[in-house]
Amino acid sequence: MPKVVSVHSYRGGTGKSNFTANLATTIAMTGKRVGVIDTDLPSPGIHSLFCLEPEQTTKTLNSYLWGDCEIQDAAYNISSNVGITDAGELFLVPASVRADDIAKILKDGYDVKLLNDGFRKLVKGLELDYLFIDTHPGLSKETFLSIAISHILILILRPDKQDYQGTAVTVDVARQLKVRNLMLAVNKVHSLLNGDALRQRIEETYSESVAGLFPLSEDMVQLASEGVFCVKYQDHPISQEFRKVAQKIIEAN
Amino acid sequence: MVETSNLESLASSIQAVASPFRGYLQDLYEQYKGVMDGAVADYIPELAIAKPESFGICVATVDGQVFEVGDCTSLFTIQSISKAFVYGLALEDHGREYVNSKVSVEPTGEAFNAIVLDEKTNRPYNPMVNAGAIATTDMIKGKGSTERLKRILDMFKRYTGRELDINVPVFLSERATGNRNRAIAYLMLNFDMITNRIDETLDLYFQQCSILVNSRDLAMMAATLANNGVNPITQERAIDGRYVQDVISVMLTCGMYDYSGEWTYRVGIPAKSGVGGGITAVVPGRIGIGTFSPPLDEKGNSVRGIKVCEDLAKDFGLHLFNGAKPDRDLEEWMNGRPADGAW
Repeated sequence: MPKVVSVHSYRGGTGKSNFTANLATTIAMTGKRVGVIDTDLPSPGIHSLFCLEPEQTTKTLNSYLWGDCEIQDAAYNISSNVGITDAGELFLVPASVRADDIAKILKDGYDVKLLNDGFRKLVKGLELDYLFIDTHPGLSKETFLSIAISHILILILRPDKQDYQGTAVTVDVARQLKVRNLMLAVNKVHSLLNGDALRQRIEETYSESVAGLFPLSEDMVQLASEGVFCVKYQDHPISQEFRKVAQKIIEAN
Repeated sequence: MVETSNLESLASSIQAVASPFRGYLQDLYEQYKGVMDGAVADYIPELAIAKPESFGICVATVDGQVFEVGDCTSLFTIQSISKAFVYGLALEDHGREYVNSKVSVEPTGEAFNAIVLDEKTNRPYNPMVNAGAIATTDMIKGKGSTERLKRILDMFKRYTGRELDINVPVFLSERATGNRNRAIAYLMLNFDMITNRIDETLDLYFQQCSILVNSRDLAMMAATLANNGVNPITQERAIDGRYVQDVISVMLTCGMYDYSGEWTYRVGIPAKSGVGGGITAVVPGRIGIGTFSPPLDEKGNSVRGIKVCEDLAKDFGLHLFNGAKPDRDLEEWMNGRPADGAW
């Protein structure tokens, strides 16, 4: 059965899109059909990690939500952009970066029912094994929906007080929405912090498991949102950590 | 209704959007939206302009959960569906004995606009054919046409939970072309089955058929009957609980025009259809179903609406007399975790 994985963070700047891109790619590289959908309509961005230029994407998630096309028509096969050479396919449904389109979303909103129907059609139409939802930070009707329909919810947080508090709120919401699998991923961990102690403290605080700890990495910054890190540096410790998280996603019920 | 926290109520509305049951309805919608059989009613030009591709499915539970797919907000005229509900109002106004003395409850097997009365008693056969509906409309109490119409509109407001309007062009057109109904009325006047305020009653009849509703309204009306006459969301009583069974039984035996027998056998959910393309269907104690799709089969029932009700009845065991364990458990699908549905 296909799995829907939502990647969310309470605040922006946690590295959510980068995390989503790497995790989705890692799973696609195991030979799976993986879709990524950018529901961060007010501030889209994941397309640049997948080297998909806005000029190439005439149809976007926005087009679907406004009834201009079917959702499958807004899905782009980005396997070769990313450098997936063997089995496995990766698709992206980007959101529009046109200022006018973003303004329309902010002004009129959209029907979350359509978003839900779109997820289902995409999974069926592209015969996906995994659908990753890159969400808009913070809590809104749309993030509630993404959380509610997910088999697995991954919450990204940085080790700081604001993220701790915000994540606590999000965990409450996720429990109210009866999410089956909740995983935490800690990003941008300073090299001076003791990883094991941090992991233990976070797991005790939220009574949820930490799926991965990712260091604050200059190597990753150097790539500057162009390309997927785990493809370019397959043996890097960060890529290995992504493979561990991917394994947990694959094994989750 | 039970008081719930803001978080709980938002979570519950999201669950309704994402529940496996709504996914099921969405699949039905996709499956049948391409069905192009049937034809839009065209006996008056105002109905002929309906878009054949319009299609909406709404299900409301007696707990007030609402599941919508497709076009559940577009308005269309209620047409014959009003007959079942106006019958309920006539029962409230006069009681069962009097109403029965003027309108029988036998299915006719004749077309809905047949000019035929029971030969022995001179009563129209049932409240769902035009003759019977004109007779029940005649019984609606009130000082003059305005108050009588207002009482009908107020009743529909209690069922739907919102103010309803009349489509005036449809009303005028129905009135201008309604000579057959005029003939039926005069025949009944001849047998003393209705009062002599014929023009007023016929206007009221054409007006009630021209009330604008959407599929959500039809689902709420059915859910209100399913909830023993109390609107599940507003908690307002729409009809005296004693008469709910009367309305639902004539829907079961006569609600789908001269397809009622086969409908009861195949679907087994009391329902009423209208030539505007609507169907309202009552699963007592559980849910109300409202569908909208204008193309009609030759009996005058919505083609896609019938298919949707057939599938719902079969898949969830909603036939009134079903005793076998259904393939799917309705409550499980409605309240299940969204992720558990068919992806």
